[in-house]
Amino acid sequence: MSTESETGVKRRDFLKILGATGATTAVAGCSSERVEKLIPYVTSPDNTVPGVSQYYATTCRECASACGVMAEVRDGRPIKLEGNPDHPLNRGAICATGLSAVQGLYNPDRFRSPMVREGTALKATTWAKAYELLAQKLGEVRSKGTAGNAVFINQHETGTFPGFLDQWLLANGMPAHLSVDPLAPTATIAANQKAYGGAWPSLDFAAAKLVISFGADFLDGWGHPVPQQLDWANARAKLEGAPTLVYIGARRSLTGLNADQWIAAKPGSDMAICAALAGQGTIAAASEASGVPAATIEALSTAIKAAGTGVLAICGVATVDAVECGVMVADINKRAGSVGVTIKPAGGHIGYNGMSSYAELAGAMLRMAAGTVPIAFVRHANPAYTTPKSAGFVAAFNKVPFKVSFSSMPDETASMCDLVLPDHHWLESWGDAQAIPGQISLQQPTLDAVFDTKATTDVLIDVAKKDTALASRYSVADYRTWYTARFPGGSAAFASALTKPSVVGGPLVAATQRATAVGTAAVMANGGGEYFVHVYASTTLGDGRGANKPWLQELPDPVTKLAWQSWVEVHPQTFKKLGLAEGQHLTVETPAGKITAPAYRYMGVRPDTVAVALGQGHTAYGRFAQNIGINAYDLVSHSWDSAGGLALSASKGTITVGVDVSKLVSTEGSARQHGRAIGQVLTLADLIGGGGDAEEHHSIPGLPSQEFLPGLRARVAADAQGEFANPKANSTGMYDPDHSSGMERRRWAMTIDLARCTGCSACVTACYSENNIPTVGAPYQGRALSPSTWDERPGANIIKGREMAWIRLERYYEGNENTENEFSADFETRFVPMMCQHCGNAPCEPVCPVYATYHSPDGLNVQVYNRCVGTRYCSNNCPYKVRYFNWFGYGEPERKQYAWPEPMHWSLNPDVTVRGKGVMEKCSFCVQRIRESEGRAKAEGRPVKADEFTTACAQACPSRAIIFGDAADENWSVSKLAYDRRAYHVFEELNTFTAVVYLKKVSYPAPASPAKA
Amino acid sequence: MATPTKPVREGIRGPNIASADVQLPAVRDYEQVDREIGATLGFSRQWLWGLLVAVTGLLIGISGWLFQIYWGLGQAGYEPPVMWGTYIITFVFWVGIGHAGTLISAILYLFRAGFRTSIYRAAEAMTVFAVMTAGLFPIIHIGRPWKFFWLVPYPNWRLLFPNFKSPLVWDVFAISTYLTISTTFLFIGLIPDIAALRDKEMNPTRKRILSILSLGWRNSDREWRHFAKAYMFLAAFSTPLVLSVHSVVSFDFAMALTPGWHASIFPPYFVAGAIFSGFAMVWTIAIPMRKWFKLEHYITLNHLDATAKVVLFTSMVVGCAYMIEFFVAWYSGVRAEQEFFWNRVFGQWWWAAWIMLLCNMALPMSLWSQKLRRNPTWLFVLSIFINLGMWFERFVIVVPSLSHEFEPWQWGSYLPSWIDMSLLIGSFGWFFMWFLLFVKQLPIMAIAELKEIVVPRNRFAHAHGIDSSGHHDPNGTATPGEHD
Repeated sequence: MSTESETGVKRRDFLKILGATGATTAVAGCSSERVEKLIPYVTSPDNTVPGVSQYYATTCRECASACGVMAEVRDGRPIKLEGNPDHPLNRGAICATGLSAVQGLYNPDRFRSPMVREGTALKATTWAKAYELLAQKLGEVRSKGTAGNAVFINQHETGTFPGFLDQWLLANGMPAHLSVDPLAPTATIAANQKAYGGAWPSLDFAAAKLVISFGADFLDGWGHPVPQQLDWANARAKLEGAPTLVYIGARRSLTGLNADQWIAAKPGSDMAICAALAGQGTIAAASEASGVPAATIEALSTAIKAAGTGVLAICGVATVDAVECGVMVADINKRAGSVGVTIKPAGGHIGYNGMSSYAELAGAMLRMAAGTVPIAFVRHANPAYTTPKSAGFVAAFNKVPFKVSFSSMPDETASMCDLVLPDHHWLESWGDAQAIPGQISLQQPTLDAVFDTKATTDVLIDVAKKDTALASRYSVADYRTWYTARFPGGSAAFASALTKPSVVGGPLVAATQRATAVGTAAVMANGGGEYFVHVYASTTLGDGRGANKPWLQELPDPVTKLAWQSWVEVHPQTFKKLGLAEGQHLTVETPAGKITAPAYRYMGVRPDTVAVALGQGHTAYGRFAQNIGINAYDLVSHSWDSAGGLALSASKGTITVGVDVSKLVSTEGSARQHGRAIGQVLTLADLIGGGGDAEEHHSIPGLPSQEFLPGLRARVAADAQGEFANPKANSTGMYDPDHSSGMERRRWAMTIDLARCTGCSACVTACYSENNIPTVGAPYQGRALSPSTWDERPGANIIKGREMAWIRLERYYEGNENTENEFSADFETRFVPMMCQHCGNAPCEPVCPVYATYHSPDGLNVQVYNRCVGTRYCSNNCPYKVRYFNWFGYGEPERKQYAWPEPMHWSLNPDVTVRGKGVMEKCSFCVQRIRESEGRAKAEGRPVKADEFTTACAQACPSRAIIFGDAADENWSVSKLAYDRRAYHVFEELNTFTAVVYLKKVSYPAPASPAKA
Repeated sequence: MATPTKPVREGIRGPNIASADVQLPAVRDYEQVDREIGATLGFSRQWLWGLLVAVTGLLIGISGWLFQIYWGLGQAGYEPPVMWGTYIITFVFWVGIGHAGTLISAILYLFRAGFRTSIYRAAEAMTVFAVMTAGLFPIIHIGRPWKFFWLVPYPNWRLLFPNFKSPLVWDVFAISTYLTISTTFLFIGLIPDIAALRDKEMNPTRKRILSILSLGWRNSDREWRHFAKAYMFLAAFSTPLVLSVHSVVSFDFAMALTPGWHASIFPPYFVAGAIFSGFAMVWTIAIPMRKWFKLEHYITLNHLDATAKVVLFTSMVVGCAYMIEFFVAWYSGVRAEQEFFWNRVFGQWWWAAWIMLLCNMALPMSLWSQKLRRNPTWLFVLSIFINLGMWFERFVIVVPSLSHEFEPWQWGSYLPSWIDMSLLIGSFGWFFMWFLLFVKQLPIMAIAELKEIVVPRNRFAHAHGIDSSGHHDPNGTATPGEHD
């Protein structure tokens, strides 16, 4: 007792301290984790709360559409892009390409500083030296008086920049820039100009009864994908009186798969069909040219008449006669009287205004090849990749003495340049875009530059300031100052405009008007091969721009379900004829060039046609793009239509069967449902008539033991939770409203409307972005094939089925079982987004030995990564196969397979754990969003409002097919939709009581079926 | 010269008596037993080579495992949805192997099957080592093997207990219980033999170790009485394990709703398969052993004949189970099941299924022939086929089922990688390393029990004066059981 009074330390306290310090030492000493320091802000930046996202309204520049987006910024870094719900164009939706922009921003292969050519290589330099060099070269050009021959190639964009650039060029004595966009449907634009007087009239699908698409892939990326898809899905959601779609083309694209009828016309024969429909040709001639039965064309003609003013014919072909074809298609609309009804020239989209054609680029190439171009600038465009090899861009460009690139990626063109002045990513820079007449969308930086790059706008100003002749005109600090000063209403108006999706206005400086008409088509020799070669823009990678983003590489092509590779689509009949094996290498040769790629069996392509997608085959452009597949531009001849648009398709070529066979990087198991009723359909007649469902599937005999839709309220679900400890649970289940946690009031659920879903797969990429899902297909992410060799095939992990997509788009075919022996255009496609079904009675839960997966009281099937030991039993027992295993340390920076090489990990969502190797993961219904909303509601002292938030997939979905919410609260939309006439659960017979309710697709009779006619 | 027990002549098709009264006519006295069994413990060059091969195999497995732990399970051949592969197959394979040992040592003991005496020690050691091998595979197979102890219920700061609904937790109990009981059973049975070795041992260190292991056995009457009781008790204790352990293992599959797994026939089917494969492994071990150690007069053709009948019977049980699975799939009307079973024999994995059917159903039918039952070479060859077939049986259960489940979009394939193979090799290395170490340290046959069935020489030498060459005295009337 004496010691206690002397020291003041009690024996118990001493022991406590001893124990605590000992334990701490032991724990700290044993921990394998790196010590990381969290340092709080001493002075917090304005409005910045650590751990709370800020949203900046800006404008997506990934394609010419310029949708409004919100950049979710966490602690100074954008982590995700979301559609701006108030933007009139995309209304909150966003596509996969737009979502992937953050991977362009954080791409590890971006130029990290200005580069200058030293010998054969580009070496890093400083901005001062780069400016000096550029000023010197500009001076030389001016002193020689050859500035007028300079060429500036810019990726097409709208807004103020084109005008600003032209002003600068003019000040330097240079001609206006070329605004190129390889993806833009030049012919359609020209035809629209001719027929309707506008580049892009708005397409009103809701007013349409019959949509006829001549190769216009309006759901694939043609035109303005997001608004078109929104309008289309909304129109289709009417079900009764919804427009039907006829797709005419040699290949059934994603749009074609969404069509109610495919008319498989030979490539280049669209003109003949148009002529017949427009009354300018005979049906017999059309049938002869296109290989389509006359009866079908006849029926189509009848259907057009029947549709009256509800006809909406659109043309997107890319042949040498595309403009004339487009005009004739417009004629169909005009004759039907649907101009102004379904196709509205007023209020069209103006994103394509001011675009240069391919022919103009070809003209510049000629000048370069002649050696008269003293200096060339390229910004974001990549003509060394996106022009046909036969056009000879590379040789021509090499003749230019001084080549400057403003590209932020080391693409093929930038790699050839002498000086690289890397531009900011659009998420780092100021700007604007104009997509809707009279409206301007501002673009603002969402973070400080990731690398030592400078916005081209600022570079132009800086360079001008160094020039005594120009300094006075550019006496501004930077582009922002320049812009704000000219903004109507000044800086105050500018500041307020930044918070809005778009404001009334236009470009602050008009771009120089160019004569757009080319007038004549240039037709190169068309070889006489046995097969038509159809080249089309990739739905995921576009013209190849997307290839440096692993999300887009990993996203399976919505049609073929292939990723990380090139392929040649061959009809099964041809496949059999040639004796091909799946993945056998085929060499396709046209007069323009040849490519070799694995064969893919696709019944949506004519037997006399092979189809190849653009997008792969990069020789530069970073680690994710390089050395994968082939560049289909090699097959394209240097021909253009009368508007100067490159004629991509309809050349003829030969096929040589190779010896090699490589496994396809496919995510598809079986393309047939085998009667398992995963994607169900209801015919329109049954829907209207209320008749029995056309398909009554029960792969297990008998009926589920519970009444319909029990999943949302099932008593058995309580068993999974172990809630029987609560005596009330026996009668009320886990959804006891009085449960202490209060969670029992909710049952998070989702409806997926298959009548809306087009299979575009934006939801997949949205999920990757939101949930830190690793991409696993990069060539360095494979496994060891032997102690000394690694599997370095692109997509090697996906070949092994190891993709991690928490939500996947299943694409099932119905019909055409005998396609190998007989060509038929008549088959149906069902797209089924499949993710964790959050079963009320989940088979995965009881089998987990360590409770890593369990049921939350609000109906979620929860996966606890930290608790998982990786037995993978849950996945074996999951009928939906929606659980994904971390085969490698995709989230560990020191590992070869790391999915987010610095600085790509900046895009990780801090609200979601990055999973370690050896654990299982799956869709969580965006539990972080649920909890965030609950937390916010609690902080604001209110209940969570109905439809207050949604999951990432639902938020992105440009078809609005996915609705998420609380099925136990009737105020949420989902609780009504879940009891729709079309609602069903997948594998209902297994008594899993899923929380995901699918609404049956509605099938329409083929609009132009000869039988009907 | 009439004899109450007429020995069966070796190598001749004699009366088919291979059951309770298997005799060892060529073993004449206790010294011979001591000498011949003791001789197996002597060092030999071939043994060392064998051990080196086994250890090399083990090292291959260990390095493969370390490689896999470092990089992740992706180095193995898994192709989702085939989330289980060679590791689970090999796990079930080794657990199955283990069953024969317990069946022979426990159940046959209770049933007083005489032919067990010569082979039970080897079979029991095989059981222990097979279970030791099997027990590693669930750990090798999991994603985070360093967390495997989370499957074990123990009080912890996480306040988490394992999920007792999960068959994998049942597995933990089944395997650990099985390993404990079979090790104890092996050890208890060894005590008198260890004591015998101790008494002969000259090396002081070894003598000391053997003294400790023999637990001070002094061959007293009291000790024998307790020993017999303990042995009987453990035999009775082990008997249900023979049925339960593999039933539990089968629940890993039967409890899941995967087509091809979700079947109530699995427990008996697995137990029969386990005994079947275990007896094959006994042959694989015992037939070379009796030849190399010159123990043909201990493991006689009668013994082999008797075990062959067990194999024949279990083969038919297994074959019947295979057929019933097809019947049930048809009868259930479940489309997923029907498609799966069609696919099993005619689909993607037809070759695996036909290997299984050939090795497990067709080839063992040869054992209807007594000539073949008494042909050690054929039995050895057959044992290899059965081992292969039983490995493929598990392959057919695990892989095709998972690759062809409810969701056609996720149908897949599977190809083991070199890592899977190195761990498979490692498992055999591990097993044979232990077995080879065992045969040189401890008697491979139960000396004490063998003496029970050998007519004691001394007694007859005094009483009946048999000649020194040790010819069995035809007048000997005693059977060991009666005297002891």
